[in-house]
Amino acid sequence: MIRFGLRLTTRGGKESMTRLVVMALAVSVGVAMLLLTMATINGLGRQNARGAWMATTPSVEVGNPHFGHRGPQVTAPAASAPIWWIVSSQDFEGQLVVRVDVASTGHNALVPPGIAHLPGPGQYYASPALATLLNTTPTAQLGNRFAGTEIGTIGSAALPSPKDLVIVVGQRAKTLSKIAGAGTITSFVTSSGSGGPDSSGTTGLQIILAVLALVLLFPVLVFIGASMRLSAARREQRLAAIRLAGATMRQVTVIATVEALVAAIAGVVIGFGLYLAAAPLLVHVPFAGQSLESGDLSIGWIDAIIAAIGVPCAAAVVGRFALERVHVSPLGVSRRVTPQPPRVYRVIPLLAGIVELAYFVSAGRPGSSGGQIEGYVLGFFLVMIGLVLAGPWLTMQGAKIMARRTSRVSVLLAGRRLSDNPRGAFRAVSGLILAIFVTSVSVGVISTIITDHGAASGTLASKTVTDQFAFGPANSVPAVPSSVLSSLRSIRGVRGITVVYVAPNDLKIDGAVPHINNLGGDLQYGVVSCAHLVTTPALGTCHAGADFAALGDDIAFEPITKSVTIAASTTWPTAHPTAGLSGLPVQLIAVATNGSVSTINDVETVLDSAFPFESMTSLFGNANAKASQLLSELRTTSEVVILASLLIAGCSLAVAMAAGVSERRRPFSLMRLSGAPLSVLQRMVAFETAGPLLVIAVGSALTGFVTSDLFLRSQLGETLRPPGLAYYLIVGGGLFGALAMIGSTLPLLDRATRPEGARME
Amino acid sequence: MSVPFTLLGLLEREPSHGYDLKRDYDSYFGRSKPLPFGQVYATLARLSRDGKVVPGEAEPGDGPDRKRYAITPEGREEFETWLGEPVEPEPHLQTILFSKVVLALMLGRSAEKYLDTQRAAHLQRMRSLTEVKRAGSLIDVLLADHGLFHLEADLRWIDMTAARLPSLAAAVTS
Amino acid sequence: MSVELVASDVRPTATLIQAIDVAYDFGETPALRGANVSIREGEILAVMGPSGSGKSTLLHCLAGILVPKRGEIRLSGQRIDTMSEDERSTLRRDTFGFVFQFGQLVPELTAEENVALPLLLSGMRRNDAIVHAREWFERLGIGGLERRRSGELSGGQAQRVALARGLVARPKILFADEPTGSLDSFTGEVVMELLVTAARDDGTTVVLVTHEPRVAAYADREVVVRDGLVTSLNDHATST
Repeated sequence: MIRFGLRLTTRGGKESMTRLVVMALAVSVGVAMLLLTMATINGLGRQNARGAWMATTPSVEVGNPHFGHRGPQVTAPAASAPIWWIVSSQDFEGQLVVRVDVASTGHNALVPPGIAHLPGPGQYYASPALATLLNTTPTAQLGNRFAGTEIGTIGSAALPSPKDLVIVVGQRAKTLSKIAGAGTITSFVTSSGSGGPDSSGTTGLQIILAVLALVLLFPVLVFIGASMRLSAARREQRLAAIRLAGATMRQVTVIATVEALVAAIAGVVIGFGLYLAAAPLLVHVPFAGQSLESGDLSIGWIDAIIAAIGVPCAAAVVGRFALERVHVSPLGVSRRVTPQPPRVYRVIPLLAGIVELAYFVSAGRPGSSGGQIEGYVLGFFLVMIGLVLAGPWLTMQGAKIMARRTSRVSVLLAGRRLSDNPRGAFRAVSGLILAIFVTSVSVGVISTIITDHGAASGTLASKTVTDQFAFGPANSVPAVPSSVLSSLRSIRGVRGITVVYVAPNDLKIDGAVPHINNLGGDLQYGVVSCAHLVTTPALGTCHAGADFAALGDDIAFEPITKSVTIAASTTWPTAHPTAGLSGLPVQLIAVATNGSVSTINDVETVLDSAFPFESMTSLFGNANAKASQLLSELRTTSEVVILASLLIAGCSLAVAMAAGVSERRRPFSLMRLSGAPLSVLQRMVAFETAGPLLVIAVGSALTGFVTSDLFLRSQLGETLRPPGLAYYLIVGGGLFGALAMIGSTLPLLDRATRPEGARME
Repeated sequence: MSVPFTLLGLLEREPSHGYDLKRDYDSYFGRSKPLPFGQVYATLARLSRDGKVVPGEAEPGDGPDRKRYAITPEGREEFETWLGEPVEPEPHLQTILFSKVVLALMLGRSAEKYLDTQRAAHLQRMRSLTEVKRAGSLIDVLLADHGLFHLEADLRWIDMTAARLPSLAAAVTS
Repeated sequence: MSVELVASDVRPTATLIQAIDVAYDFGETPALRGANVSIREGEILAVMGPSGSGKSTLLHCLAGILVPKRGEIRLSGQRIDTMSEDERSTLRRDTFGFVFQFGQLVPELTAEENVALPLLLSGMRRNDAIVHAREWFERLGIGGLERRRSGELSGGQAQRVALARGLVARPKILFADEPTGSLDSFTGEVVMELLVTAARDDGTTVVLVTHEPRVAAYADREVVVRDGLVTSLNDHATST
């Protein structure tokens, strides 16, 4: 029986061979995608593990790891020569520089990975990329931050990526013991749980990748389903004939299974081949600021088995549902029964979701962050599920209206077919909805955040350097030394300096301080001298004639979530500090520059060498360069997902169209025979496939953007910014590719319905 | 069954004794119903009286079976006319048509022509019956249907016979 | 035996369409070897012959679906075998009507939409086309089925809808290829009755391909396609 099944599968004729090939290809795409995702996740994990040692902290963390901690010092239990340790991060031209300061406590000191000995005071090890930069950049711009001479480079086994900028600086134990946040350690972190200050997002990134892979999996499964429906009727008839000829159910099942297995096995093999071919190309795709090395990309045995077995299993499940309507009894189907139309109730979840999100906008967010999360997740969930559920009903209604009112045969044919079987038509693009919706939400939110919060080039914010001091009432930097201020002023290109101090609790303020970003809870404001503020316009302006002003807490304390464009246009209320500004702890130093790279680097170097541990420098609003870059790359990944899902949907539609044309071959060829031109049928194909594709792609993108607008409004008080040119190009390219694939079925349409071919059977 | 014309046809082939005529008739045409001797001689006598056949010289041993009969020119003409005519679609069509086909084959002629002529006549009759159906009462319709189905059955048989002509010709002329 | 003269035999009518020495082959297989047939305006001609005899091919050549390899097809004196595919397609749409054995109705359209198709293809507005289409439903005894989906009709109902579609645009010639081939005797007869009545009422010429004598009996005369040639049964020579 198995051999018979094999023969039937491979020699079944062109139609059955086509079906086999398409099914195998669909499976292979799913397998390759899954493998690539798993390899990337593994690669990120490996990368992460290399840098895990940088996540070692000597004490319980208090607040943001970027700023060096103010927690209590912990004396390490006596072990094999512990070392003093503190990790901080800096910014250089938008790249993250990780600085590790170490001091030995005696002989046999613990040595960090990647270096031969612990550097002594006045010595440092630099990563190869940083070493090159130090050699090629003027010291005023970079080198002055690190006192000492280079005694070696850090080995690549200790660096997540060869392009990382890491430096291990040697200090005296006495120096480090005075620094808040430094402590002794006896061993290094090795797990990749939250490795390194730069990879705080890695786990998040892995999760996001997994989610995106799942999201892309939908279109692939739909594609597999469509490929199974190809010639399904023929296949059922053939199996029924074999059954009639006396084969038992078991034998027929064996035959059917053989065919499915052949396609699955071929698909898995091809999928592995595709993965091996595509994996080297992944090194060109940047993730979280650095690209993966091909050596990192790998799949374990378990991953391979999951892909090899999981995708065919998913395909089998899909197959059961995909073929439900193509049931042919052993005696054949003589009459066609119109399937049940979708009910109007399907629209309810979608409406409910939109209403709920809109309610949040108008009535404000729920108070607790837990309530927020619940509310938003529920809203998004409802909208997403709502889109998928409401789709067939919407398709049906739209198609009915089209069909009832048109005088054109092509529109009539397409409209009736869509309204007759909206589920079938919708099936092919349903995978697209989720993919485009999710990615549009992310593109919308990310674009807005980047535009508003990022220091877009050319704006005032991009020319203003800020040095952010750790937040907290125990801020121990009482004043900026005048030497630092004069060094800053002497840099060519510096236009102004403002120091923001932590406002005392009893500060009198005229009116309320606008909060640009209310994260909830009470935060302190900052207070500035208006004479200084006027020199750094990126931070806003004072009222005319005021001496002091109170700055919003988000300016002073939380750079990443600030909307810097709003800051520049805000006029801060006048403040009346009773004792002037002396004695108040420093919160932020802002330096306005002419925007040139060398000036910015010089300013950052002066600030970094003055306050290496207590604060972090960056461009205004871009404190977390890593996070911005991460967001930007997430956006690119989202756009790539849109592209891929559009192309896959195009494949599904093309395959579904081919199947649909085959089914209706006789009435169409007789129609052409009676004088209908081929163009009528071609236009019908366009309306039936390209129409829904465009409507759904645009519709779910718009819904996604509306949802992200609602989210931004209520969560951040901002409105949606349009996405950049890349988005339009990528989406346009994807749509074009999908349409091209559909267009490729048109010659098939001509051949299948040629009038000369309408012979009596 | 038109016995006289059949006997004429057999005599057209060659003059024969009554006994031979009966034997040939039985073997080709009278499968289930052999022709009684009496009928043979009675028919021959009538044909002779009408001038279509002539008895030859009596041979030794008296009795009608000892006479050899031959066809006359009038008889030949009458036979040809009969052979070329389509048959009224009466109940015994197939036997008459059958004998015409066999006779034509025996005489080395193309039976296809006769079949076509018959087909045309049948179709003409069917056309008339169809007109009757379209205009007539229900009884007329029922009767016409009956006639049409029979005519159709005849045509089917004619088609089959046409397909079998080659082997039939071989059997008959051996 | 005398032949009755029927009134229509006396009235002279013009030749509407004719095939002259038409030959067509499918690769190695010759279907027509030099077929000649002339059809007069208003007549109903039955084209008979066993299956595979080429009668459908003759119909396709006459209707401008196939271009003969040799010979001519003339409609009212004009050659149509030399026209381009687009011109012949337009001709079929505007001048001819078609009824096939099965499978010509688009299942997801309603019956009235199916009937209206030829009119819509010619550019008529939807509402007008549907009105014209509806007139045929009563006429053919299928009133009440206008809004039914074509895929849900019985065989006889479907063929009547197909007939309506073939006639709705008032064609000059109706080409019917085994129109009752899938129907039982009674239903087939009903359909043939309607076809002939409608054609006679409107003066439509009909070319009816069939292998069934009882169907051919509805025609005015018959020709037989045999061995790639067209013969008339009466005088047994290739004739027009």
